[in-house]
Amino acid sequence: MGPYDSAISTGSSTSSPSSAAKPSDIDGLLAGAGYKVRSTELHQVAQRLERLETVMVNAPSEISQLASDVLHCNPSDIASWVDSMLFEFNPPVSIPSDLSDFSDLTYIDSVVSPAINQTVCNNSWVEHHTPEQQQQELTHQLTVVTAMEEDSGIRLVHMMMTCAESVQRGDLPLAGSLIEEMQALLTRVNTGCGIGKVARYFIDALNRRVFTPQAPCATGWSNENEILYHHFYEACPYLKFAHFTANQAILEAFDGHDCVHVVDFNLMHGLQWPALIQALALRPGGPPLLRLTGIGPPSPDGRDSLREIGLRLAELARSVNVRFAFRGVAASRLEDVKPWMLQVSPKEAVAINSIMQLHRLLGSGPTRVSAIETVLGWIRSLNPKIVTVVEQEANHNQSEFLDRFTEALYYYSTMFDSLEACSLQPEKAVAEIYIQKEICNVLCCEGSARVERHEPLAKWRNRLGAAGFRPLNLGSNAFKQASMLLTLFSAEGYCVEEHDGCLTLGWHSRPLIAASAWQPLLDTVINHNNLL
Amino acid sequence: MAGSNEVNLSESKRVVPLNTWILISNFKLAYNLLRRPDGTFNRHLAEFLDRKVPANANPVEGVFSFDVIIDRSTSLLSRIYRPATGEEALPSIMELEKPVTGDIVPVILFFHGGSFAHSSANSAIYDTLCRRLVGICKAVVVSVNYRRAPENPYPCAYDDGWAALKWVNSRPWLKSEEDSKVHIYMVGDSSGGNIVHNVALKAVESGIEVLGNILLNPMFGGQERTESEKRLDGKYFVTIQDRDWYWRAFLPEGEDRDHAACNPFGPNGKSLVGMKFPKSLVVVAGLDLVQDWQLAYVEGLKKAGQEVKHLYLDKATIGFYLLPNNDHFYTVMDEISNFVSSNYVEDDKFGEIGNGDKCKNWLVLKALIGGWSFGWY
Repeated sequence: MGPYDSAISTGSSTSSPSSAAKPSDIDGLLAGAGYKVRSTELHQVAQRLERLETVMVNAPSEISQLASDVLHCNPSDIASWVDSMLFEFNPPVSIPSDLSDFSDLTYIDSVVSPAINQTVCNNSWVEHHTPEQQQQELTHQLTVVTAMEEDSGIRLVHMMMTCAESVQRGDLPLAGSLIEEMQALLTRVNTGCGIGKVARYFIDALNRRVFTPQAPCATGWSNENEILYHHFYEACPYLKFAHFTANQAILEAFDGHDCVHVVDFNLMHGLQWPALIQALALRPGGPPLLRLTGIGPPSPDGRDSLREIGLRLAELARSVNVRFAFRGVAASRLEDVKPWMLQVSPKEAVAINSIMQLHRLLGSGPTRVSAIETVLGWIRSLNPKIVTVVEQEANHNQSEFLDRFTEALYYYSTMFDSLEACSLQPEKAVAEIYIQKEICNVLCCEGSARVERHEPLAKWRNRLGAAGFRPLNLGSNAFKQASMLLTLFSAEGYCVEEHDGCLTLGWHSRPLIAASAWQPLLDTVINHNNLL
Repeated sequence: MAGSNEVNLSESKRVVPLNTWILISNFKLAYNLLRRPDGTFNRHLAEFLDRKVPANANPVEGVFSFDVIIDRSTSLLSRIYRPATGEEALPSIMELEKPVTGDIVPVILFFHGGSFAHSSANSAIYDTLCRRLVGICKAVVVSVNYRRAPENPYPCAYDDGWAALKWVNSRPWLKSEEDSKVHIYMVGDSSGGNIVHNVALKAVESGIEVLGNILLNPMFGGQERTESEKRLDGKYFVTIQDRDWYWRAFLPEGEDRDHAACNPFGPNGKSLVGMKFPKSLVVVAGLDLVQDWQLAYVEGLKKAGQEVKHLYLDKATIGFYLLPNNDHFYTVMDEISNFVSSNYVEDDKFGEIGNGDKCKNWLVLKALIGGWSFGWY
């Protein structure tokens, strides 16, 4: 389900129920152009546009500079965008170089954040990578595909689909013989790149499912997987995008708070946090006291790896004069974590950070209470300022195997293609293993073993809305950070898009990862809908 | 200077429906923020503000779309729109490039507008327009995501258009059954119209046959300030100043607006006398300030003995074809339909098919299978 589709059909779930706009209220023609304006408000919006134009005419030379400094949010909502522009341009003030003058401005509404000095938020990660860009010589391999290879490629895809369909029907003998045929066909195509490589991994997954269904294919919380994750982090921009975007949102949510607490649902090597620590250090007015609680699996060999990471982060924090405290919470599964373990204090501003963790809670047996409901429930009870959620933008949780297989084929072939642009070794090769494990989990596992239950943004919107959260818009600051991050990758093909306040990163117009931010609604406003 | 500081807003509001006025005014104001006085462009903000939609291989109102990579070295993408034939519930990957059926199937090569700097093939307004063209012309539409100024000035957009034309012309699955040839028409609005003309020039030189050019409010200009520019400056969404900015962004450094790309029948223009140039349909909006240049274009074609139909819409402003809420829209769509002669007769069942729940993007999988080969090198 594309993000655009959801913007039209589920308009009511993206805002609090009291201000929900039913689709029928919205001007249909403008909706087709990507804008949401209530039919009853056309005149008002037109008036505000006129006002904005008048104001802009009075400050012509400064406009583009102002536009760069301002935070833009949710351009589909013309009314609020125009209001935010009016707020910035009127009354006309000369732009001070020290933006602390803006500290006494009041907000129009909580969604429009005050202008933040963008140079402050510039991550040092960005600057460090600039020389690399020249080093990374991207050699475009113009693989000339022969007619025979192209034919084999089509046949492979066709056969994989047929095989998946027979698996779904339970016709394992047919599936098995197809697998053997495909493996033979693989010897006649180039499996080092292109469709051959993708087919190799998918045929392997089918092979496992049919012949060794009991073999474990776990992903996520283990030390081996941490290494794979790190290489995936280095080889392509998806995780970096996740971290940058989440950090930007968290930074903005923490504005004005002196005691802040970040809860990371999957600490790994803590790759996300140095950038946030440095950004907080440079905050005008000084850094807050920062507490970080990192959740992760218990270490098998008796080491306290969570604590080790915490110590390294503490050292970094000390070096930039940020008061910092770390706490590790070891748990095998996220649903085993209880809120009291996080020791959240009511005086803190809390940020919950979930990078590709929520989908792991979606598999639940018929008897036990849904893990996702439980976790979302206690997240709400902590009353966080922000919940940053990054998830794969894919529909890999369908019960029908063929549907899942087809989805995964498109999704991962796109991801593999984007990886072709990477020239770092061994990062690229190990990243492929990381992806392969994910594929296996999606296709070969069932029940509680299948944790890679990715769902698209539209479904998460519904789920989080029903659980009592409202979306916060990720604005142009985050978009710009993400776009700048991409310019460091010489592969042209990555694209960042904004839809309804969320950002997606994709490859050649296919979104692959989606970032969004949320905040709990007050209890009095909640609609007690059933979760899907 | 663009008139006085007192902006005459009420005039434009009287000639277009309110939602159209909001749409175009919103663009206008947003675009004002993006153009910097030093000639650079705030591309990040532009991409953030642009409303985009994904391709959708599930038919919606009888049309499905998918993206293809035409040239990896320049990341040249195009979005292809096809009518759903009603045989299969959901087109599988084998169906996307299924050969077109019909004696004559028009293929429209579409170039979106945006004054060479704005918009993309996947901008919502252009996705909508292309889908309409499929239905109106019973055609396959290929919308080219050409490189934009100021980062990619002249001649990048023309090169990309030319690459796309060659690509379309060489697709076996786009060949009409009658003569095993691809029946190509080129359509473009604003800068897209300008691109249509310039790609047609290349086509003529190289012997690729284009059956017709359709230019909607094409973007042309010149050094001289014409009467229409002076009269309409700032009155209907567009100013001389912003036109100048976009030409400076597109044209090579040091060139003025009499460069042939901007002023094809001006002092530096090329003669089309004796050329087998495609027949043209040129639509001019009566409230577009560059209409004198568009009329000069029509005259230039006539003087060179070329076939041209000129459609002048008295009270139309720029962008009238973006929303189907005015007479001009329907007039133009009828004209376009007639111009693109078509005997595409399949069962007219373009009903809604598919569950609409999934949005498949086949682009990369297709590319992996065979799209890497550059058939025309």
